[in-house]
Parts: sequence; C-alpha cells; structure tokens
Amino acid sequence: MAGNFWQSSHYQQWVLDKQDLVRERRHDLAILTDEEYQKIFIFFANFIQILGEQLKLRQQVIATATVYFKRFYARNSLKCIDPLLLAPTCVFLASKVEEFGVISGSRLLSTCQTVVKNKLNYAYAQEFPYRTNHILECEFYLLEHLDCCLIVFQPYRPLLQLVQDIGHEDQLLALAWRVINDSLRTDVCLLYPPYQIAIGCLQIACVILQKDLKSWFAELNVDLEKIQEIARLIMNLLELWKSYDEKKEIQGLLAKMPKPKTQPSR
Amino acid sequence: MQKYEKLEKIGEGTYGTVFKAKNRESLEIVALKRVRLDDDDEGVPSSALREICLLKELKHKNIVRLYDVLHSEKKLTLVFEHCDQDLKKYFDSLNGEIDPDIVKSFMYQLLRGLAFCHSRNVLHRDLKPQNLLINKNGELKLADFGLARAFGIPVKCYSAEVVTLWYRPPDVLFGAKLYTTSIDMWSAGCIFAELANAGRPLFPGSDVDDQLKRIFKLLGTPTEDTWPGMNLLPDFKPFPMYHPSMSFSQVAPKLTAKGRDLLQRLLVCNPSQRMSADDAMSHIYFSDLNVAIKSERCLQ
Repeated sequence: MAGNFWQSSHYQQWVLDKQDLVRERRHDLAILTDEEYQKIFIFFANFIQILGEQLKLRQQVIATATVYFKRFYARNSLKCIDPLLLAPTCVFLASKVEEFGVISGSRLLSTCQTVVKNKLNYAYAQEFPYRTNHILECEFYLLEHLDCCLIVFQPYRPLLQLVQDIGHEDQLLALAWRVINDSLRTDVCLLYPPYQIAIGCLQIACVILQKDLKSWFAELNVDLEKIQEIARLIMNLLELWKSYDEKKEIQGLLAKMPKPKTQPSR
Repeated sequence: MQKYEKLEKIGEGTYGTVFKAKNRESLEIVALKRVRLDDDDEGVPSSALREICLLKELKHKNIVRLYDVLHSEKKLTLVFEHCDQDLKKYFDSLNGEIDPDIVKSFMYQLLRGLAFCHSRNVLHRDLKPQNLLINKNGELKLADFGLARAFGIPVKCYSAEVVTLWYRPPDVLFGAKLYTTSIDMWSAGCIFAELANAGRPLFPGSDVDDQLKRIFKLLGTPTEDTWPGMNLLPDFKPFPMYHPSMSFSQVAPKLTAKGRDLLQRLLVCNPSQRMSADDAMSHIYFSDLNVAIKSERCLQ
C-alpha cells in the first residue's frame, strides 16, 4: 500500500508535528515530567503487547492498537479516559479493523483480568476494574476521537522491502523488526511516515550488528536528518528503558498520573 | 441527532436501517444508516467498521461520501450523501428500454469508481445493482462497502461466499479464497450486460451449480488450457463441455460491436485474463463518450 500512503488519512490527518504534541500534552506535563510521561506510555504499550500476545494476535494488530492508543492521547489528557480501559479498547477495535476475527468482549475482559492479576500485579494491587460495557462504551469515544481514521500504515512492510533490497539478511530483518516493535513506545508513529521509521529502525539494527551499510543508506532518496531524529528518539527510549526499574517505580507513577474524576462503579 | 430530521425509511442495509433525512441547518438531504448494536459482545459490528474506515480513505466522485459518524447512547449513525435511487430501482422504472448513451455513461462511471478503489488497494467484493446509487444528475456511485476490504494487508484467506450469487465469478464459485481485483471486474461485466439489456440480469442462477452452468453455457466450459489451475480450486467439480451456444450479439443485442468486445473481455472465466478497470476505461467503446463525463474532476 506504499504508493497510497500520501493520500491516506494517516498521512493527511495523523502525521503530527512536535509543537502539536507539546501543546496537547501541556496539562499532563504540568503534573508529570517528560520522562515520567514516557514511562507511563511504555507501561501501557507493554500492556497492549501482552494482551495481544495472550489473545494470539498478529504483530500488525498489536501495532495498530498501540497507534490508536498513542493517537488518542496525542489529542487528549490522560485524565479523559483511564489508559487501563483505553488500552484493551484499542486492542478490541484494531482486531476488528485488521480483520483478525472478532475477539468477543467477554474473552477480552477475561484476558484483561488474567493479565492484570498475573503479570501486572506489581502495578495494580486490585483486580481489573472494568466490565465489557465499559469497553463497548469506550469504543465509541475512541472511534470519535480518532475521527474514524482506522487504517494505519505500519513500518513492517517497508522494512521487508528494504531488507529484500539489501539482500538476504535474516538476522538484520529480525532485529530491525524488534526495533520497530520497540519504537511503538516512542512518539515516532505520531511524527513520521512509516517508511522513514522503517529506515531509522534498520539503521539502529545495523549499528547494533556492526554492519556497515553506509553506501546503501546514502543511495536511499530520503531526508537523512529525519532518519537521525527517529533513530535518536528510539535510542533515547532504549537508554531510558535500561536505566529504570519499572517494577519499583510504576505504582508511584500511576498514582501521580492525572485521572478521570469518576472511577467506574460496578 | 438533533441535527437531522428523519424523513422516510429508504431500506435495510447489511447491518441496519437506512433513512432519508434533512440537515436542519443546511437543509441538505442525506441518508442515515443506523447501525444496530444488537450483539452485546461485538461492539460496533465489523462490517460497519469496515465501511467507515474504507470510506474515510476513498473520497471520489463515483464513491458514495460518508459525511459523518454520529454517536449516541448505544447507537451509531452513519451519515451518507443521499442519492435518489439505486440502479435496481432505476431498472424497474425503465419498461425495458434504455438509452445507449446512459449505458455507456453508467458503465464508465462504475469502472472509474472501481479503478479508484483498486488503486487504493480496496476490493468492493459485493457489486450488484442494489449497491450502485444514481442521482438526478446521472452520476453513479459505488455504495455499501460492508463487505469490502483493503487487500494490502497480507491475509491469505478472505472469508468465502461474499458476493451475491448472480454477480459472482466462476473462480469464487469454485471456492477460490485468494481474491484479487478481478472479482469486481467480473461483477462489472455482469452489470454491463444487465445495463445494456435494460435490467435483465445476465446470469440469474438459483444455486452455485446452476450459476456455473449458466456461465459455462454462454462462455463455454473452461479447460486446463484456457484456465490453468482451475481444477485445483477447493470446490472444483467437472462440468459438461458446453460450447458457446449463443453469440454475444444475442446476449446483448442492443450493444454495439465495441461494447460487446468490452463485455467479452470482462466476462472471462480465468481471473488472470480478466480486463482491469483501468484498461477497461481506455477501451475503444468509450472513445465517443461525452467529454464532460470523461474530464470530470473526481478526487474530492
């Protein structure tokens, strides 16, 4: 679908610029530092990833769900909807849009309950507080705030083409693929077109594997400054990730996070 | 919902009731499609989601416009551009006579809408006269994308049995699961013949067998030579060797020789040999098409 990206809603409405993000986040960033804000998003991207894996979704569906999640909070404060509710709602919507086969609300709910209880108990002392009707209601809001732009272009396909062009490089492909997965914990999916993200991730993979493809990169007709920006954002994430113990800090961060006024009633 | 005044029920769509309505401010007439949310576990039905997300990407003169999506308590309403009637109703009003220039214009617009979908990697998969809307200005628009899907996403199998039987190509009738744009081109061929015959369907089969029999009786039963790989299709079964019994001049007697040539290039059993929408638009049959239609600005 590469040729159509430029006419897509993704390109026309959802490649944002940094100033937009700064402006939209100013309420949340009055309470949280940049780093704390990013840590919260790492946590919830992980939640989406784990949910997706438990539900045996393809990575494409997980990536789309994560982009929905990032897009929503690019235009809204964390206090608009509890991310613990929005995250599974994004998975629910993405699975339908990507035609993975519908996950029933009840299956999604029981997966949320198990994941929160068994894998995220270091963050949440209590059980998953929401019910199917909350997810269904939340789906409406999500749809509306995404302005019904549901088709998301991902860097995975461009990556496949790039690696094919380089030649048979399984190790490189596998690593760059994982870097793309990691990149979902940064803002790159909100700021850059997917093919640029693919190139940025490929570059990082080359550095890690100490592969010299400088001449190949030089021949690509891309804005190398943009690629460097992407690579920097992802490298910053990897640094942050290494230096931080989520299990220790996350409860404090979640407590500090701006919240909706009303908590769900059961 | 205060924004629109409901006027009358137009019909039942794939997943909900359609109403004609008036925008209270602009007085514009629109079509409201109310999405039923009866299955409490599925949320917004995937067919509705498919239509919403595809129409968001497809803005073209020959594709029905989705203006808005309204949310209210447990209800979703899609606001579409309103067209006066669908092609099926138009046929019913014809009394068996149709102006050849209208046939040409409608067919060209159908192809143009399809070419656009296909260039954006979207298959319609359910083309039929009921899904083609026409308005007073003689414009034709593709509608009802509830079964359409973007084919750029690498999924090997699409769900089988999606096209209304009469407009289904033989490969799909034989259970082919890898669909391509050729699925829509067959349907376009059937609709072309139906247009030319002022609304008489070309292959009104009653079941899959009857459908295939009608197709092969007209076009001849395909062989491994004309269609390699045919007998590997999941639901393939041998049919008697029919030889074309009727010429295309009998099938669509009112169509010119050029029109028959186009029809013959669309109605090809082997999907890989079926003409594409782009190629069909530059077929010589359209060389004398009204310039005003040809040169319209279509991107919206």
